[in-house]
Amino acid sequence: MGSQHLSDEAVAAFADGVLSGHARDRAGRHTAACAECAHAVKVQREAVWALRAAAAPPLPTSLLDRLRTVPQTTEITTLPTVLAPDGSTMLATFAPVAAFVPSPSPRPSHRTRPIVTTAAVVALAGALTAGSVAQRVATPAQPGSGSTVRTGVPGPLDDGPVITQVGVFRNTNR
Amino acid sequence: MTIESPVWVPPSWDEVVREHADRVYRLAYRLSGNRADAEDLTQETFVRVFRSLAEYKPGTFEGWLHRITTNLFLDMVRRRQRIRFDALPEDAGDRLAGADPGPEQTYDEMHLDPEIQAALDALPPDFRVAVVLCDLEQLSYEEIAATLGIKVGTVRSRIHRGRVLLREALAHRAPGLRPAEPGVERDLSEASA
Repeated sequence: MGSQHLSDEAVAAFADGVLSGHARDRAGRHTAACAECAHAVKVQREAVWALRAAAAPPLPTSLLDRLRTVPQTTEITTLPTVLAPDGSTMLATFAPVAAFVPSPSPRPSHRTRPIVTTAAVVALAGALTAGSVAQRVATPAQPGSGSTVRTGVPGPLDDGPVITQVGVFRNTNR
Repeated sequence: MTIESPVWVPPSWDEVVREHADRVYRLAYRLSGNRADAEDLTQETFVRVFRSLAEYKPGTFEGWLHRITTNLFLDMVRRRQRIRFDALPEDAGDRLAGADPGPEQTYDEMHLDPEIQAALDALPPDFRVAVVLCDLEQLSYEEIAATLGIKVGTVRSRIHRGRVLLREALAHRAPGLRPAEPGVERDLSEASA
């Protein structure tokens, strides 16, 4: 045997095959000679096998339906965030006018950019699969109903006012 | 970061849901061990996502979802522990109902290995989270550490301990344990070589 027993952390990491170089070689040599540590590694792997062999539960369709209506049933309280026009960071603007302006009152005229009337304006840069544009939007005045709104993106896609409603922008795939 | 293609369009909310709901639900189920809690956790995760898209920092969307779901689960566990420690209020039965197996369990048991889920449920929540994220969601130690806000060493030791407990709970199944994935099997033969 000779060498010191593997630490618990090393046992887990060796079982997962994530030790590298010298550490892996040493752990390999040690477990070849030490029944105790070899058993410990085996226990780790057997636990993983047992877990992975268990089937994954299916998503209930009723839940899927509820998730789809989250934009219509969720109030947005987040304050507006300024867009990063170059897209180098998250692109996000929330324009929940109703959150800080009483909804019937006229819109402030000193705004420097267009404000949409929808509950929220969100654009988001991040790694995510891209998709199509149409968005369903709940307005503060009609929390239960949705309407389809054209989504515009500052930059290449921009052919309209500021982005409307939740859009998760594909930016890079990391 | 630069924009990858000249014309790209944001996915609709519907697409976000379709893309990620399965995985979030599965994680929520593995963590909570029952359908009612898994549904609540999943729904709450998507509500949080919808509300806080503005705070989203570029990174992987999946990582963000994992973090929200996991933290919601840990919050739920802590909340229930507090309820148990305090004098139980009148409606404790209702509030804890989610933890009890209900009629839905019958359905779930047809799809899951109840013994394995039970062994998972028996783990302390911190260990369970580490094991589920590592072995079922297949996150790296570093990703788990980032998700939970703990050190990688702590992640490793929780995973180690969690698996030991899990294996003990399934001890009677010893002959039935077989490699589930060729990759893992190969690793084992390397180790025992």
